[in-house]
Amino acid sequence: MALPSRTRSARLLVLMLVSASLVTITVDYRQGPHGPLAAAGDAALAAISPLQDAVSKVTKPIGNYVSTLVRLPSIRAENEALRARVAELEAQVATSADLAARVSQLEALLGLREELGALRTVGAQVIANSVSNLEWTITIDKGSSDGVGVDMPVIAPAGLVGHVVRVAPDSAIVRLIIDPDSAVAARLDVSRATGLLEGQGQRDLRMRLVDPATEVQPGERVVTAGYRIPGVGGGLYPPGILIGSVSHVLAGEAELEKFVTVRPAVDFSALDMVLVVLSDGSG
Amino acid sequence: MRRTLLLAAVIVTSLLLQTTVFADLRLLGARPELLYLVTIVFAFLDGPSAGAVTGFASGMAEDFLLDQPKGITALTLTLLGYVVGLLRQYVVSPSPLFPVGLVAGGTFAGVLFYGVVSFLLGQLAVSVPYLVRVAALSAVYNAILTPLLFPVLRRAVEASRAQKVVRW
Repeated sequence: MALPSRTRSARLLVLMLVSASLVTITVDYRQGPHGPLAAAGDAALAAISPLQDAVSKVTKPIGNYVSTLVRLPSIRAENEALRARVAELEAQVATSADLAARVSQLEALLGLREELGALRTVGAQVIANSVSNLEWTITIDKGSSDGVGVDMPVIAPAGLVGHVVRVAPDSAIVRLIIDPDSAVAARLDVSRATGLLEGQGQRDLRMRLVDPATEVQPGERVVTAGYRIPGVGGGLYPPGILIGSVSHVLAGEAELEKFVTVRPAVDFSALDMVLVVLSDGSG
Repeated sequence: MRRTLLLAAVIVTSLLLQTTVFADLRLLGARPELLYLVTIVFAFLDGPSAGAVTGFASGMAEDFLLDQPKGITALTLTLLGYVVGLLRQYVVSPSPLFPVGLVAGGTFAGVLFYGVVSFLLGQLAVSVPYLVRVAALSAVYNAILTPLLFPVLRRAVEASRAQKVVRW
């Protein structure tokens, strides 16, 4: 008689917990990012981020060492390729000095330098990654007390990283551009054609809405277009920030647009320091 | 009280390890699902009720760190803990590989279930083949970690049990 009673109470318990989960899902789904559950989530982030920061400081060197060991063959090949590239670029530097001077004058003429120089940024350390395999986010050690807010763009020395989606006083969660929920208005550097760049997780980014008549070559740089596309979310990224380079041009998928895949310039597996763009200098 | 504190410590430690250490130690791009592993092991050792409670607490903790509707992981892990606990009552095997297989199968099924619920809510942003791949890799990774973590978790569960009072 005791066993059925235990089984009954276990079933009742599970029923209660499942109901609680379903109520939580419904409430959070209906109230969105401004409900009490979202506030509780921000509080949880604020509570755990100092611990993540502490653990990260201790374990990061060990993790880097191990991942370096794992990636040793590819690093060696990359090193050789980079050496060759350095030699090639050193040869080019001598001939492009005059060109650089002209570009510099043009930038000053167009006011681009002033615009980029006016960006207010704050440096942040990456302290954790997403807890899920199906979400591509990072946690940084700067939050609302440093002026960081939702939708602010985040960049790294190599290029665009993503934008802030949640903020706690001393930490923030950044959605990476490789997240499938991410959409960035982008521009091909040579043809100047624009399109919408969407994340595909660990695969290259996918650029769509590109005019099919556009001539696109693999290796062509892709930068931010600097405008917001209504209805697709995402923050207003400053124009001209490097996103990556074209890896493949997919033909024949649709007649009305061309699909292009883009390899990100940023190595998201080795992100350490990033810059949060606090304002574009206009306000 | 002791059990609640221990469960909280295990969950927080798992979350910290998963977002920091295992973020750098990936298996073909996937990380282990430590909270799935913890739920399955607790259910295996302590039965369906403990499995369900552990799953619910672990899932809620994970949900509050995700940018998804909260409660999906809690629902997944509650059911996973309960089912694994039930299964343990009916399947008895002395093989030391049994927990490893249980963790692998449970993780695979749990991640797929999570994907299905996310899909029904319009929140699944990845393709089905990718979801299956991630579920399989997480299952393999969790299976590899089980022989290392199972003894630690078993000691934690045993330490949290109320001490028996022997009366003469």
